[in-house]
Amino acid sequence: MKGSRCLHQLKSLRLLSHAGRLLPPAAAGDNGTLFRPRSSSQLGGLQCAQREVLRHFHSSPACTKGQPARFVQEEDKTRDKSLVTHDDLFEQVAKEAKTKATFNKVIDVYTKGDIRRRGHVEFIYAALKKMPEFGVEKDLTVYNKLLDVFPKEVFVPRNFIQRMFNHYPRQQECGVQVLEQMENYGIMPNIETKVLLVQIFGEKTHPMRKYQRIMYWFPKFKHVNPFPIPEQLPEDPVDLARFSLTRMANEWDAKVTVYQLPCTDVTESGAEVTLPHIVGIQSPGQMEALAKHNPDRPVFVEGPFPLWMRKTCVYYYVLRADPTPPEEKIEEPYDPERCFSYPLQLDLDLDRDLGDDESFDVEDLDEGPVFAMCMTSQGDQATLNQWISGLQESNPILGQIPTLFRLGAGPRELQGVGDADSASRSWFPSHVQREEAHPGEEAEAVVEEAEAVVEEAEAVVEEAEAVVEEAEAVVEEEPRRSQGVKQ
Amino acid sequence: MSLPRITHLPSGRLLSTILHHQRLLPSIIPLTVPKRAVIQGEYRRPGQPKKAKFPWKKINFNFSKGLEGIKKHFTLLKKEFTDRWVGPEGKPIVEHMLEQNRVVWEFRGPESLGEWTVSSDREIGGHSEAYLKLGRNNNTCFLYGTLSSTPPRDGETRYSGYCTMRSKQPLASFDRKKHHDWSSFNTLHLRVRGDGRPWMINISAETYFSHQKDDIYCYFLYTRGGPYWQDVKIPFSKFFLTHRGRIQDDQHPVWLDKVNTIGFTLGDKADGPFQLEIDFIGVCKDYAHTEEFAYEAYKRNPEV
Repeated sequence: MKGSRCLHQLKSLRLLSHAGRLLPPAAAGDNGTLFRPRSSSQLGGLQCAQREVLRHFHSSPACTKGQPARFVQEEDKTRDKSLVTHDDLFEQVAKEAKTKATFNKVIDVYTKGDIRRRGHVEFIYAALKKMPEFGVEKDLTVYNKLLDVFPKEVFVPRNFIQRMFNHYPRQQECGVQVLEQMENYGIMPNIETKVLLVQIFGEKTHPMRKYQRIMYWFPKFKHVNPFPIPEQLPEDPVDLARFSLTRMANEWDAKVTVYQLPCTDVTESGAEVTLPHIVGIQSPGQMEALAKHNPDRPVFVEGPFPLWMRKTCVYYYVLRADPTPPEEKIEEPYDPERCFSYPLQLDLDLDRDLGDDESFDVEDLDEGPVFAMCMTSQGDQATLNQWISGLQESNPILGQIPTLFRLGAGPRELQGVGDADSASRSWFPSHVQREEAHPGEEAEAVVEEAEAVVEEAEAVVEEAEAVVEEAEAVVEEEPRRSQGVKQ
Repeated sequence: MSLPRITHLPSGRLLSTILHHQRLLPSIIPLTVPKRAVIQGEYRRPGQPKKAKFPWKKINFNFSKGLEGIKKHFTLLKKEFTDRWVGPEGKPIVEHMLEQNRVVWEFRGPESLGEWTVSSDREIGGHSEAYLKLGRNNNTCFLYGTLSSTPPRDGETRYSGYCTMRSKQPLASFDRKKHHDWSSFNTLHLRVRGDGRPWMINISAETYFSHQKDDIYCYFLYTRGGPYWQDVKIPFSKFFLTHRGRIQDDQHPVWLDKVNTIGFTLGDKADGPFQLEIDFIGVCKDYAHTEEFAYEAYKRNPEV
């Protein structure tokens, strides 16, 4: 076997010199000579010589100009006799539709165009760059198909010298880049990828090593996120708000309430009014805490704060109060009947040693309780007023507590106690382009005062109408449609 | 044999998924020794030529600064001498031996922000921004900014969009390097409030060989988002070894007796604003955690 293989190689070298090749032997791989030593070694020598004659005759650049025309399919409009880069191949197809089918078509056109796969490295690099445009960057079958473009068994090192000296480095780097793009998008390769890599590059090569590393580390880090996010987030804004609010809530028994579904109304004047969705969350513990809240101290509606889930960012608003000053804190005694399994309070005179002290030596940050959270697509005061009035149905004490609005133009951190007095500014919708939101701005709008809230609370129905009118006015001022509102 | 063009990265700044690469298609196969040597001097921003600056021009001769420096260094020196009479590292020996929790960084004033260095991919020509300020009531640190993953147009960089906050190396008197000694602890405890983005914690330990300069031990920090604080406890056995952002084949647990810096990196390829609030960073000893190392340390990939 080995002897016949050497014989073939000698023959091919002789034929090479006869054909008068101008290209250096090191770049032979680029032309993609489909040398099949294993299959051809089984046949007779004469046949191999004939095949080799054919192969090397056709591989000289001067002769192949006319050849590819025979393999062109009818629907391939992209074939052009002038110099065309592989990027242009994708551009031509991109004019129609950018789907997985057209992407596969381009690959098929290329693979069937030339049996030698000339310039396959550049083609694969161009394809990798174009994948996000066609929307196939997360598709494993497309990557396998792209790896299939490599000619098989040509780049497999056949002896220890070839293995030592980075056999076909350009192709190996290309294979590594394909796997690297798969790793970047978090796609796990499968057994087909491994078989392809072994056929193309052999074992103990760089692409194979990269594949082994991916297969080692990806399963280890797959479930390392303690707050996992599903791959496909819900499209419906109300469902998305529900999911993200339950994600943020601290209690298991927090209840999500939808105060308003997104809808489009047409008023008498014919103008379209789009109402945003308002989804709120509150747990029974928060309701209790709010019921015990001192009505003299105001509660604040703050926002919008960002929440990122993979690539989507949603904004939420928070109803919170400042921490009670120490003189007003009442320590309620533990109700012994609340829990029968163990005593809630123990009056023991035991000291903890330094070695048993499990607490950190930091002062506890008391930021004040959070009473409720909400998500809405249009974060202006009218919408948030609607949320507060909706909350009031289950928390009647909100009618007596003054509510202050602290809305910002962009994402900010929770404000402290000392920031209560700042210049009041007219409120404006917070959902302008998020990319432009400058983090340093602190725009507060302290508009609602205690008396106004009390008056509104007395007539809930009229307030709802007023809010709707305000919302309409707001929407008419800004014709820009808020996100997530359905037609 | 290694590939001639392997990734080229600045130390301690990147996740393994966001990388800088050299030229995508080398026009010729390099027949000579690769340009990137293993030992690197200062970080060279890709696309910039090497500047020749004489070593004496880098020193700043200023009298008042010199006086301040003398005062500071001698105070530190005196403190070091007197601390030895109290106990190891300035604490009584009982405390040093039995200590279960230690708060290493807490942000209680503007001077605590001076211990941290904030950087983003603006250094290599990207468009991300990162700022650090004190949070509410001057009690927390607030790292915020915008990420932008458009790579800089210098022909070399392919991916971009990261920002990082790294603690400065602790210094003894006369700017000698001092290390954190966390050998009696086994868990890192953080109290953070993020916006749902996944961060990466990088611990850099003291190394001996110059090849190991960019060796960093990393682990993920997943934030939940929301208005509630999140207590994150990560045992040191979970940190894996990376070099220039690439996870290595030969893994070993982080050596805690000489820890230099800790850092937080964000590079999750999602363009937009981000924020992270940190209350404090501490280390603690969790007796229930008996794992020595979470990954296999034996040789798994035999050499070619």
